Amino acid sequence: MLKIEGLSVSYGAVEALKDVSLDAPPGRVTAVIGANGAGKSTLMRTLAGLEKPKSGRIVFNDQDITGGKPEDIVRQGIALVPEGRSTIPDLTVEENLKLGGMWRTHAQRGTSLTRVYGLFPVLGERRHLGADTLSGGERQQLAIGRALMTGPQTLLLDEPSLGLAPLIVTQILELVSQMARDSGLAVLLVEQNAATALRVAKTGIVLNLGEIVRAGRPMRSHKTRSCDMHTSATDPLEAQRGIAP
Amino acid sequence: MIDFIDYLLGGVSSGAIIALMALALVLVWRSTRVVNFAQLGQAMFTTYVALTVRDLTGSWVLGLLVAMVAGLVVGVIVHFLVIRPVKRLDTSGAIIATFGVLIALEALAAMVWGGDPEAFPPPIDNAGFELFGRIWPFSPYDLLVLFSVVILVLALSVVFTRTNVGLAMRASAFNPEVARLSGVRVNRMLVLGWAIAGLVGAVAGVLVAPLSTLSPTSFDIFLVFAFTAAVIGGLDSLVGAVAFGIGTGLVIALVSGYSDSSNAPLVALALLILNLLFKPEGVFSHHKARAV
Amino acid sequence: MDSLLQRFSGARLGVNAATALVIWGLLTWLNQVIDPLMSYYLATTAMYATAMFGMTILLGLSGQVSLGNGALMAIGGYIFALTSMNWQTVPILGTPWNAVWSMVFAGVGGVVFGAAIGGIAARLRGPYLAGLTLGIAVGVPAIANRFPGLLGGENGLMLQVPYPEGGYASQDVGIDEGIDEAGGVAGDDEPVYEELPDEFADQGEELPVDDGGPAEEDMLSEDDFLSEDDFLSDEDFTTDDGFDTELAEDDLLSEDDFLSDEDFTTDDGFDTGLAEEDLLTEDDFLSEDDFTTDEGFEADVDSSLGSDDGGDIDGANEIVDTTDPAADLDLAGIDSEFVIEQWQASVAIAVACVVGFIALNLVRGRQGRVWKAVRDDPIAAAVSGISPAGSKISAFVISSLFAALAGAVFAQILSYVGPGAFTLGLSLSLLVGVVLGGRNSFIGAIIGAVILVWLPEFVLGLSADRGWQDQITNNAPNFIYGLLVVLVVLVAPGGIVGGIQGLVGRVRSGNRTGPRTG
Repeated sequence: MLKIEGLSVSYGAVEALKDVSLDAPPGRVTAVIGANGAGKSTLMRTLAGLEKPKSGRIVFNDQDITGGKPEDIVRQGIALVPEGRSTIPDLTVEENLKLGGMWRTHAQRGTSLTRVYGLFPVLGERRHLGADTLSGGERQQLAIGRALMTGPQTLLLDEPSLGLAPLIVTQILELVSQMARDSGLAVLLVEQNAATALRVAKTGIVLNLGEIVRAGRPMRSHKTRSCDMHTSATDPLEAQRGIAP
Repeated sequence: MIDFIDYLLGGVSSGAIIALMALALVLVWRSTRVVNFAQLGQAMFTTYVALTVRDLTGSWVLGLLVAMVAGLVVGVIVHFLVIRPVKRLDTSGAIIATFGVLIALEALAAMVWGGDPEAFPPPIDNAGFELFGRIWPFSPYDLLVLFSVVILVLALSVVFTRTNVGLAMRASAFNPEVARLSGVRVNRMLVLGWAIAGLVGAVAGVLVAPLSTLSPTSFDIFLVFAFTAAVIGGLDSLVGAVAFGIGTGLVIALVSGYSDSSNAPLVALALLILNLLFKPEGVFSHHKARAV
Repeated sequence: MDSLLQRFSGARLGVNAATALVIWGLLTWLNQVIDPLMSYYLATTAMYATAMFGMTILLGLSGQVSLGNGALMAIGGYIFALTSMNWQTVPILGTPWNAVWSMVFAGVGGVVFGAAIGGIAARLRGPYLAGLTLGIAVGVPAIANRFPGLLGGENGLMLQVPYPEGGYASQDVGIDEGIDEAGGVAGDDEPVYEELPDEFADQGEELPVDDGGPAEEDMLSEDDFLSEDDFLSDEDFTTDDGFDTELAEDDLLSEDDFLSDEDFTTDDGFDTGLAEEDLLTEDDFLSEDDFTTDEGFEADVDSSLGSDDGGDIDGANEIVDTTDPAADLDLAGIDSEFVIEQWQASVAIAVACVVGFIALNLVRGRQGRVWKAVRDDPIAAAVSGISPAGSKISAFVISSLFAALAGAVFAQILSYVGPGAFTLGLSLSLLVGVVLGGRNSFIGAIIGAVILVWLPEFVLGLSADRGWQDQITNNAPNFIYGLLVVLVVLVAPGGIVGGIQGLVGRVRSGNRTGPRTG
């Protein structure tokens, strides 16, 4: 399991994350929501190894992986789908997918590829076409598919809804959430769009100006189709432990 | 008309060789966004090595193979001198560093082998084929050159498009961050890019030496030709490098034939200027060459 | 005109002028007291510094890596050589030709070609600019081969470096045959280039050269000089003193038959087309005063010359450097302390100081700030109303001007221009110099020039002690330059000056701040 302990990250004089602690338990979606500039992407990039924290620890399966290189972290089982269209337009759809997880065995990759095409049939249809021929939503699927090819235990999703129609976003997130439940994948989802995120998440954590300000279990109101959080504490870890697995 | 064909034939093998040199430049550019102005200096150095091996063992093939290995090694060394530490600094630092390497390599070659031009004997006959009662400006050696270049380009093309390593290298060039997140060891791919470029340059050097002279500075003009070809094709484009490498060789052969061979550098310069004025990003590229 | 003044505003012209004058004075004094070989080094250093001031502006201030300055030096050198060899009789703006005009034209050529190249290059990003200028550096010398007639082809052109009073360093003439410096605009320092009439062309081959001493038969003795007795006087022309001819008085020449001063005015229909200055006057001929053995002879010539010393002149108080043509003039009794290397160095120093003055003013003024602004953030600069392309082109033009002037000086130092003098290696050397010395400072440029001249000598000295082979001695400096350049880029991008500034900064602040890069 991915555990974050007291993580602080600064860009020069600007403190982007202040003493953030949370867990990303397997089999469920954990959502981190907040406005622009709250520090969400910084959190994701630091977890993936693209940024180095000033202080704090990142522990994965009881191993301290703080400050590791991205290509090592992904091999250990944490895969980031970065913000924006993180596909490579000069490569084909299948090449984009095959880019993920090259260190795995041929068989493992074959299985993963089949699974990805099963989850996202549109990718299978266009497998030999350039990735630049895909629509926004399709590219997001491709990006997730590539991350899945690395065989992760924990999937980090950075603002998947950006620039996409709500319907598509919902579809994707529900797929992901299903995957989590089925395969025990831990999903850490970061979003501006609180409603969408909380719809699929088991735990919600609110980030503001680099600090966690609220955490709890989302309440779904079927009547109003809105979401809010049932906050029992401001300490997200406590809030998370209070939730039954 | 027959003159025209003659000149073209004469330019084919030099065009093929320039294609290889342009390819080396593009390989390095794609991997690290740096034009390695030392590339042809490396090729000169490894060609001297080939000549020494050939003189010692009598085998041109052995010389070529040793040069290829040396090309790999020198490519890796220069990469570490120029790129790894310099990456953080402004781009002019990398450019200056490659010129530093060029100066050092030319001086080192002169210290080891002397500054006088050497003759590099071709492994097979360099006199034109005799067909239909005339001697054509195309010799068995030219055929060997063509053959070698085609094989090398095909091999590279297979590696790039059909192997995992090739895919990893391409991805590292297009989007290093995404490649990293996919688990690709991008730094190693960059080194590999330089190593392969060094190997390609070494082959080009050994092939061209019998057609020209070998001295510490004799490949400077080829740097101009190769750079011109690479830029016209688009620094991003491997296909462009090959296509315009051959084109540059043919144009130079035509110019040398119809007027004078000392016009060659000026023609290349003119082509380069025209290209930079009108389509600086190159014919096959989607990348900007202009700062403002 | 306003914008021209604007570029210099805030520049403290006075301070810069004083700096330049002081340096010029120091160097000129230095030039007088050192021996000719050191003068040669001084000249070469000043020449390199001139070109490198331009590189400092182009690379350091404007951030453009260009290898074109060697080609610009070639352009300046060739223009200087061609105009001074072929245009001596062409008047410019009413004044006769002299070397200052050649310099001006070299500079103009630099500006024109610099603008042309800059117009293309200044819009390009780093590697494209570097590659284009690389092509220019390789291609421009090849142009000389395309026009062997005009440009001398592969072998280049020889040019004659003048003495300030006229005459040429490459030939011992002693008699100034031609146009004297009266035509000079700026005073008596201006060298006048001229071609010797054909009948004097052969004299050069008969003169003693480099042999460590004149042979006895080459030395002038008193018998060689004309004395009054050798000239005809009036008495010889009367019929009364026993002139044994059957000539009648009418047949003899009288005073009227000879040309007098009046005949040499252009007004009297003298249709030679010669101006008065062209004609020989009494001053042009050696008179008896010039031929005394007592004055100005820096060696004692005496009868013991008959011995086979082969080298030094016996009994000499000083050893005459007879490889120096100026000494030949001395032996001929012509009063001269002229040393060709000193002259070349004084030209080089003067040009370097003038160029340095211009550079200082530009850099410390508005133009310098404009250049820096565009280098650091072209978009912000554009938004502020500065044209980035324009400022890059202006940096190109200035550095080309400096390079062309340096090339003209180079031509005078070498007495020669040719493709072999202006190779790619020269451009690379200029780059090496500014990078090693410090690309952001003119002192760095000077340090770079000193390194370029001194390191090969240092290596030569080492190799003499240890008996290295020529191919090592000749190439070791370049090998060291290459490695140092890579090292400097890695560790100390500001070069020597930048490194010192960084050290001083750290010592002063006492903090462990890292060196600023870029």
